[in-house]
Formats: sequence, structure tokens, C-alpha cells
Amino acid sequence: MSELTATRTIVVTNESGIHARAATLVAELVRRFDSKVVLVKDRERVEGTDVLQILSLGAGRGNELSLEATGHDAERVLNALVQLFDENFSEEDGEVEDCEAENKQ
Amino acid sequence: MKFADFVSREAISAELIATDKEGAIREMVQALLNAGQIEATEFESIVKAILKREELGSTGIGRGIAVPHTKHPSVDRLVGAVAVSHEGVDFDSLDGEVVHLLFLLISPPDKPGDHLRALENISRQLRADTFCRFLKQSKTADDIRQLLDEADNSQFVS
Repeated sequence: MSELTATRTIVVTNESGIHARAATLVAELVRRFDSKVVLVKDRERVEGTDVLQILSLGAGRGNELSLEATGHDAERVLNALVQLFDENFSEEDGEVEDCEAENKQ
Repeated sequence: MKFADFVSREAISAELIATDKEGAIREMVQALLNAGQIEATEFESIVKAILKREELGSTGIGRGIAVPHTKHPSVDRLVGAVAVSHEGVDFDSLDGEVVHLLFLLISPPDKPGDHLRALENISRQLRADTFCRFLKQSKTADDIRQLLDEADNSQFVS
């Protein structure tokens, strides 16, 4: 039986790009699913569960990424990932504001 | 971006003493202070900002690596410190393992691109097992400086 596969293309839109917090959120999300997920940027392919590999893409604002999933929940993991990107890793915006507010004190 | 573009050569330690997260961060920020990269009056503010960032999620990203960091208005360019801990630091890492390699970054708030390029460089180099292993085996700051220079000259990553 062939495994289910799914792909999506997304554009990084948050200001800071996929930095440590964002990469961690991606990896944590992918780990909650069974499917194998690969992120592709400019032909470079990295494991969706590996923060170090995701960071090594250096994906900044405006960069396009392909998301590929293989497994029984391939569609579901990619839908969740697309939502995470669409929300610009919501916690990150708070992070920036918090740190800057802190520094102004 | 290369290590030489952001790592302060005087803020490199092959013998991190602290084995807890806050202690390790304080030691590395102190190294940047001693190297003249940050102002003494900003020390506590920087440490506090880095610890606050850790509360949002550990920067212990697995494989014995941590990249504690913050944006801070007191610096006008990206500055970094490197430390190796032979004993290991409890960093609440994603994989539950202690951390042996630490790269601490302080970046100006208006230059998120530089921060991302530095993270890209660090992670790209650390993906090379040889570089990672040699770094963990470093005995002196000079050993680390030499490895960073070799990495900058593409000795480990094709």
C-alpha cells in the first residue's frame, strides 16, 4: 500500500523569519503527528523534527518554502503547519514586544 | 555570515564553570563584558532579557547545543560569545539532554536579518558531525578559535 503524501508551498511572512523560537514551534508541531515532514528551500531538504536543520535553512521574510509530508496524517500535519505560518508564530510577536518593553524600563 | 563576523574572539571559553542555565548565561555575558563588547551598566538588563526569552521556550535545540539570545538596544551590531561545557549544562533542552556547546547572541532590535544569518551559520556548521565533535573536545579557547576559523574557511561543510 502506498503511503499518503501531501505538499504545500508557503511564504515566510513574519519579520524575524524562522529563527529559534519559530523553528522550535515547527519541530514541536511536526512531532505531534506520525507523518514524516520535509521542509524544502532552494532544493535544500531538511527534517521537520530537527530544529538545528530547520535553522540551517536561514529562511527569512519573503522566502518560499515547500512542505512535504508522507504518512496517514499527511494532510492534517500540513494544515496545522500552514496555520502556524499564517499566524506568524504568534508567540514571537509577543516575544519581541516583551523584550523591548523590558529593555525600556 | 561567518563566525568571525559576530563571535568576539575574547569571549570564547573552553571551560564553562556553571552547570545551570542562569549561571551559564551570566558567565557568557560577563565574557562579553570583559571583552569590551557590552557596557557594564547594561549587564543585568541583558542577562534578564536573555532569561526572559528562555521562559518562552528553551533555546536548547537538541544535540547538546544551545543558542541563548536576545535583542537589546544597547548594542549597535550583533555580538556573540561561545562556550564549551565538558560537564554539561542543564538547559531544559527539547531532547532532555544537557548542553555542551553554547552560542550566545545579542543583536540590535532593528537588525533581525543579521540574527537569522548568524543562527543559520551556527546551525549549518553544527550539522557537520566532525565540527561538532572537535568543538566538544576543545581544551582551550585557542582550540575553539582555530576551529571557528577553519569552519569559516569551509573546512567542515561542503
